[in-house]
Amino acid sequence: MDIDPSKILVRYNVQKEKAQSPDQMAAEMFPKAEPARTIAKAIYDGEEDEVIEGLEKAIGKGADAIKLIDDVLMPGMKIVTDLYDQGVIFLPNVMMAADAMLEGIEYCKESSGSAPKPKGVVVCHVAEGDVHDIGKTIVAALLRADGYKVVDLGRDVPVDEVIAAVKKESPMMLTGTALMTTTMYAFKEINDRLLESGIHIPFQCGGGAVNQDFVASYQLGIYGEEAADAPKMANAILAGKGLAQLKDMFHKH
Amino acid sequence: MVKRYTSMAYKNADDMIFGTAVHPVKAELGLEVGAGYVTAEVNYAPRPEAGVSKEKLVSEYRKLTTDILARAVQIGFPAVSLETEHVEQMTNNPTWGGEIAHVQKTILEEYHEEYGIKCGLRHTPGDIREDRDLLALIGKKYDTLMESFEAVADGGADFLSIETMGGKEVFDYAVLRNDVPGMIYSIGCLGGMDMEMIWTDITKIAKKKNRISAGDTDCAQANTAMFVGGGLLDKNLAHTLAILARVIAGSRTLVGYESGAVGPGKDCGYENTIIKAITGCPIAQEGKTATCAHADVMGNLTMQCCDLWSNESVEYHGEFGGTSVQCWSQTLNMDAALMNTAIQTGNAKMLRDLMCLSDKYRDPQGYVLAYDNAFKVGQAIVKDGNDLYLRAKNAVVETIKILEASKKEGKLLMSRFEQNALADAKASIDALTNEKDTFMSDSLAKYKAEVKVFRPEANYKW
Ligand code: B12
Repeated sequence: MDIDPSKILVRYNVQKEKAQSPDQMAAEMFPKAEPARTIAKAIYDGEEDEVIEGLEKAIGKGADAIKLIDDVLMPGMKIVTDLYDQGVIFLPNVMMAADAMLEGIEYCKESSGSAPKPKGVVVCHVAEGDVHDIGKTIVAALLRADGYKVVDLGRDVPVDEVIAAVKKESPMMLTGTALMTTTMYAFKEINDRLLESGIHIPFQCGGGAVNQDFVASYQLGIYGEEAADAPKMANAILAGKGLAQLKDMFHKH
Repeated sequence: MVKRYTSMAYKNADDMIFGTAVHPVKAELGLEVGAGYVTAEVNYAPRPEAGVSKEKLVSEYRKLTTDILARAVQIGFPAVSLETEHVEQMTNNPTWGGEIAHVQKTILEEYHEEYGIKCGLRHTPGDIREDRDLLALIGKKYDTLMESFEAVADGGADFLSIETMGGKEVFDYAVLRNDVPGMIYSIGCLGGMDMEMIWTDITKIAKKKNRISAGDTDCAQANTAMFVGGGLLDKNLAHTLAILARVIAGSRTLVGYESGAVGPGKDCGYENTIIKAITGCPIAQEGKTATCAHADVMGNLTMQCCDLWSNESVEYHGEFGGTSVQCWSQTLNMDAALMNTAIQTGNAKMLRDLMCLSDKYRDPQGYVLAYDNAFKVGQAIVKDGNDLYLRAKNAVVETIKILEASKKEGKLLMSRFEQNALADAKASIDALTNEKDTFMSDSLAKYKAEVKVFRPEANYKW
């Protein structure tokens, strides 16, 4: 027995695939000048040794290590996250590229003896009682890749610890992940405790169990559908958007 | 020492069929699994509010168990099996799980006595062996977990199961980096080591209490890969890599049976067709009936060789057609009735092939898990059955071969992206050693350096 599957199912992923390959599209986006081009390609390929090698050469020729972070490493990484946003490349490429870029940043910091200023600080956590942390790990990686300092509290984090971390780090935003209907209620409590302390930072919440209606039910809550919404929201905050505007941006109904 | 599988229980893939296993398993209240008929295995979760106290939980399980049995006799089903996947409180407080098992079993006994309906009960304690961000596979939590198994066995659970997490700390890192050797190490090797420890002990408890050591699933890793992979348009993991995690899980889940488990294997182990081919033990599966719990790309295919047919999990609440457990148990039982009709009329293989074909070309995962291909993966595993590393690697090599060969037939369309991921995986596997010791020591050094939460000395018996 056998069938003609085309009458039974549609492989929309195959149908929708772009004519150009991801590598071709990336090649068009790399900067023209050196060393930026070689380093951007090394980031895209997730080859940390080549990233370091490129930086080494540039610094040897007198480039400023901290300027390389802003002018070369961050734009190189942006090519990767843009391609991910457009659905051209997959998450593991982003993770490997981010690993390579972060190694590059470490190297630049060491060789200059000073640290660059991050775009901002974000605290990430998984709700108390919940161990599902892959979504949170992705969120944290995408934020780091976009130049934010991430304080990752891990999973199964008690409310007290979240509040303490927010007080200590004064982040520009807080993220929460929950995959269980039983654990997501901790977000409401965090919201109330933050308000009690007079803290009004946006609290972006996502993860399998969480939906927009639930998140919209507490004042600081903004729903995040996909991990890529986290750096998008952080950038919107940097651009001066307040809670109401963020809700407009991220709440779809 | 455990007894490794080095040969197949079935001679041909075509001999495999739903409802029948080479080694059927018998529960207390008349239910046999794999003995020529398929039975529904109903799964459920308590409402969040019910978790606040032992009394509330017990009452929740009493109600939902009664609901399921009441519906089963109202519609005239000859058999039903229940699975209770513990919420964390029930495992951490072994007496809670024990009491709930007892309450449920008592209800099953009453219905069995009154109507003769055949019943089974599975209890699945949660794998509580972790401490925030760190796995804690050995030590105090392990002891509590074993107490939980003792308690549910005493309470009357027929089938003892668990979804263990050995290797997960390395896997979570590897899966987000397209690292196939890392999957072999985490699922196949670390997972295999943990499975051997825990299933040897669960089997001891089962023997002592006259219960059934039923089997595990690689939910923590292969299902994570399947969900990170997601639907056709998701961009988080190539489905060609998700299926590699799955076939490695075939080697890993097999260790449970090598350590004394006899089935029915756990529902969410999509590797179970491979397991059945190798061991001849009965298996539970889930598919279209588990859309209440998750979405994946094969709904009919997983029925192909099942012995119990499950809905994975549904929260206990009201629906228009009754409580959720009543609605889903009825759907499951109707599927079972259809399969049993096919068996009785001599059309089982026909139905099996229809179900299989309706999904086989939907996705690389379904393609490889189709029983003919799953059988080939099983053969690759038993070829080096004595070597946990080599057999996991063999499974990967065979799967890549199966997917490559599919191109000639042209029915499974793979995106360029999926093909590239597969080609990269092949290159990384071709570069691997054939020596287990070399692989193990190289991987140990690599992941100790790269994965902060990996604590090999504390978690594995080397
Ligand atoms: C993998 C998995 C596991 C793994 C987790 C591995 C890990 N390290 O995370 C393991 C095996 C450990 C596990 C354990 C359990 N699990 Co589980 N698990 C899953 C599964 C299959 C997939 C989850 C997953 O990783 N998805 C992929 C990730 C990438 O998705 P994600 O986290 O949602 O993140 C995406 C977005 O949501 C977003 N996002 C996430 N967070 C945020 C935050 C922000 C700010 C933004 C912008 C975006 C964002 O970004 C990501 C990508 O874009 C789900 C099934 C399902 N339907 O979801 C069940 C599921 C979540 N588990 C469930 C259960 C019940 C359990 C257990 C209790 C089982 C048991 N009896 O032991 C235990 C829980 C223990 C505990 N206390 O937490 C239930 C929860 C039911 C409920 N009550 O709601 C589910 C739904 C399965 C089911 N249908 O029954 N599980």
